[in-house]
Amino acid sequence: MKAGTLWRRAAVFLLGLALLTGARAACAADNTPIKIGVIAEESALLGKSIIDGAKLAVADINAKGGVNGHQLELVVYNDHSSAADAVRAYQRAVQEDHVSAVVSTFISEVYLALEPWAARLKMPTITAAAASNLITKQVHDDYDKFKYVFEGWLPAPILAQAVCDSSKDLFVDMLHMKSAAMMSEDADWTTPLDAAQTVCLPKAGLQVVDHIRFNPDTTDFTPIFNKIEGAHPDVIITGIAHVGVQPTVQWHDQHVPIPMGGNSGQATNPEFWKTTNGAADGIITQTGAVPGVALTSRTIPVADEFIKATGKFPAFTGFTAYDDVRSLAEAMQRAGSTDPDKIVAEMEKTKMEGTLGTLAFYGRDDTYTHAMKYGKDFVLGTFMQWQDGKQVCIWPRDKCPNPMKFPDFVKTPEQHAAN
Amino acid sequence: MLALQILVDGFAISALYGLGAVGFTLMFGVCGVLNLAHGGIMVIAALVGWWVAANYGVGPYGGALVGLLAGLAASFITYYAVIRPVQRSRAIPPVEEEIFILTSTLLWGIMLQVGLDYAFTDNPVTMQPLLPGVVRIAGIRVPQNEVLIAVLCWAVIGLLSLLVNRTRIGKQILAASINPRALTLLGFELSHVYLVVWTIYGVLAGLAGVLLASFLGASADNAGALTASAFTIVILGGLGSVPGSLIAAYIVGYAETLTAYLIAPTLRPIPALIILVIVIYIRPQGLLGRR
Amino acid sequence: MPKILRSPLPLVLLALVIIGGVAPIWLDAYYLGIFTVAYYFGVFAMSWDLLFGFAGEVNFGPTFLIGLGAYGAGLLNNAGWPLPLCIVGGAVIAVIGGVALAVPALRLRGPYFGLVTLVAVLLLLDFIVIFAAQTGGEIGMMVPDVLSVSTAVNYWYAFGFLVIAGAILFGLSRSALGLILQATGQDRVEAQALGFNVTKHKVAAFAISALFSGVAGAMLTFYQGTASVDQMVDLSIAVQIIIAVVFGGRRTILGGVLGSIFLVLFDELLRPIGQLNTFVVSGVALLVILFWPDGVLGYVLRPREER
Repeated sequence: MKAGTLWRRAAVFLLGLALLTGARAACAADNTPIKIGVIAEESALLGKSIIDGAKLAVADINAKGGVNGHQLELVVYNDHSSAADAVRAYQRAVQEDHVSAVVSTFISEVYLALEPWAARLKMPTITAAAASNLITKQVHDDYDKFKYVFEGWLPAPILAQAVCDSSKDLFVDMLHMKSAAMMSEDADWTTPLDAAQTVCLPKAGLQVVDHIRFNPDTTDFTPIFNKIEGAHPDVIITGIAHVGVQPTVQWHDQHVPIPMGGNSGQATNPEFWKTTNGAADGIITQTGAVPGVALTSRTIPVADEFIKATGKFPAFTGFTAYDDVRSLAEAMQRAGSTDPDKIVAEMEKTKMEGTLGTLAFYGRDDTYTHAMKYGKDFVLGTFMQWQDGKQVCIWPRDKCPNPMKFPDFVKTPEQHAAN
Repeated sequence: MLALQILVDGFAISALYGLGAVGFTLMFGVCGVLNLAHGGIMVIAALVGWWVAANYGVGPYGGALVGLLAGLAASFITYYAVIRPVQRSRAIPPVEEEIFILTSTLLWGIMLQVGLDYAFTDNPVTMQPLLPGVVRIAGIRVPQNEVLIAVLCWAVIGLLSLLVNRTRIGKQILAASINPRALTLLGFELSHVYLVVWTIYGVLAGLAGVLLASFLGASADNAGALTASAFTIVILGGLGSVPGSLIAAYIVGYAETLTAYLIAPTLRPIPALIILVIVIYIRPQGLLGRR
Repeated sequence: MPKILRSPLPLVLLALVIIGGVAPIWLDAYYLGIFTVAYYFGVFAMSWDLLFGFAGEVNFGPTFLIGLGAYGAGLLNNAGWPLPLCIVGGAVIAVIGGVALAVPALRLRGPYFGLVTLVAVLLLLDFIVIFAAQTGGEIGMMVPDVLSVSTAVNYWYAFGFLVIAGAILFGLSRSALGLILQATGQDRVEAQALGFNVTKHKVAAFAISALFSGVAGAMLTFYQGTASVDQMVDLSIAVQIIIAVVFGGRRTILGGVLGSIFLVLFDELLRPIGQLNTFVVSGVALLVILFWPDGVLGYVLRPREER
């Protein structure tokens, strides 16, 4: 191997890159820690929280003595939310940096591009937020090949179920709404989301009067809001994550009189109030955890750690990434090795008190193989509303009995009746 | 009702497109520079303006002013650090100057975009509206800010036209766009004219960026799309023709709005591109361009 | 042919081919992966230089051709065609698309040719996004087959293709076609007066460029397992190709390969500095363009012959 290294260094030197290589070789010499790769976009709200969450988890695990006597080491890669960059980063992580597991991106399309590589390179890989049901479908359909792939968040059809369950309580029972319009960005994760919502919203008591899917590049939402307003729904159910600030601000500036609920990924980030100049007031979204609400005994301590480390409460991906790293580390601990097949076998046995609920994964025979289990005994998700600059938990009602509040321009059916 | 809605919505967005494209086309007409860092300059104005307004409590107007100045500064840096070195380089043959300006402004644009991405994240930001609240125009609910933006865009374009047609320096600019050699022979300093054009360009791009941020929001990732949009409009209108760009801005703006309302929001950019292809094949110099 | 090119160049090239060919023996998998991508980029760049450096046409749409090859091959593969046929199919689609674009576009002069090619890319991009159900939209289309799971084999495919494409394109640039293109690029009227059918030769150059771009796009798709907008169609890729050529040395064909390797390798090696890697790479390329406009290879080859 010595000669090989020499050759490599000589070649790289020829390319004028001696400095960098020297630094890298020095790092490679120390191979005691177990490395975990994180692939996400640093400059995106949700991506930043993934990286922060993984960092916190590693620090916590190392403080308790690491895994099997090894310290954990995090290697962070920026994928610029591009599939190509992510694949390159993934190859680097596995082949060059020799990580033992990868926690990655919140974008389904990017994660789907990593999936064949996870299968090829046999690398336990988990996403902190990607929700497309294709992710788990591949695992289900070709288990032996794709079993290395896990989904550390609820798959889209289950997110839809949570939207419908909460809509029944919040919109139908409390606000007496009868109809909804769906407004989703055109992306992999919203296809199954919309399909499931189309079925379950009417069952929850909301007729779907309009359904708009728009290009994620859209910047002007005026026509979309006008079209929706023309259909007179009582509520807009969003399915957005790539976009967030722009539709929210335009909704506010144009005084669109219909409340917005559903999934609005960016609104889960505490910075959202500031980037929208407060236009977020009244926005409802599904999320992981909300400040001050203890979903488990771990939620608040971990949230406090976040605030200490980064100065802010994280987006939901901060919690999922934290739990993902812990579940991987515990699987390695139980397996007593970093052998990928053994890690996968132990991951499947995960039943761990996470920050959002009890973390477990669906099995080989379930529809959503290797996705996070949903339900009262597992992870249920929560719904929050932006009220006067604060994220307020409004669902599940038994944990969060807070009232909903909307800005003046929004008219709920009760107000219509009062007028 | 729908027709009126389309008319109103299309008007403001078209005016904004026009403002963004006018500086771009003026730059090409007078200086022969297609500045592919255009979107980057607009975004600098938007992000700096937002950042100052959000952190220093200077209010929406203060933020807009700072943003505009940031756009102006970015314009000067582009000129002195990128364009002038290319124009003055002896190693670049004059026939290839065009491709070198394109390549270097592209690179510069990427640097701006990545640098902004790093400094401000790629999350879109929106500046506070200059005028909050909504008005009703013939029963249509329109944000007052949108009305103000349309008015401002046209006021600035009007001022620009006064400047070009009525002032001494404006006439020099016109002359430089028609026959730069003659202007030099008459004893005028061409580089002085260029500097004035870069100043005008900086103000226009900065203002367009700030208004965009308060109307639709802007992020570092938009830089490429904004350049492409200005580029499309300018080609359609005819390279170097200011009135052509304005007409093209309205064609593109209304084509997009109509598509978004009547067909589907997803198909929004398509008709404008098809119109562009047809125009280029039938009339390659664009609607009002000179060959 | 300049005398200086006659003696040392073939030897240097031969040495590089041998070093490149045996790379999998001494280079580790990670670097092989980087070079594999860089080689496909190298083919993109050489194809573009044939049009720009020799025919004098600024084609802003290399990614139109690459994208047609990549997505054409990917769609065929998803329809059940075997992999080799898909690559051929992708290439055919790229050539047809290229000629369909070139024939009318070449009637236009100056910046307008470039503009039409640019619009072609924008249209292709929009269509890919709109037909997301078939193409995977913004982020990519998965293909069922891959060239190989072995890093070394993938490397050899890319390297072999680079050498073949390089030899053919370099040969063409030094052949009668190259000379005629060069003549038309410099003085169209005179070339016409000498009896050459300028448009025919340019269309031929465009078709050749499309052929190699299309095959490279298709092969890259099957290497990565996805055809993706941001690696094969986006304007930023066209920008990278243009930068690679200008950086490496325009009108040299082989300079594009050098530029591509620089861009891909540097971008990757600078990854530890995080998001700013692209900033630094673009900055370096900008400095090179401003101060050595003939590019690296141009700088090495030219001073002795011309100045």
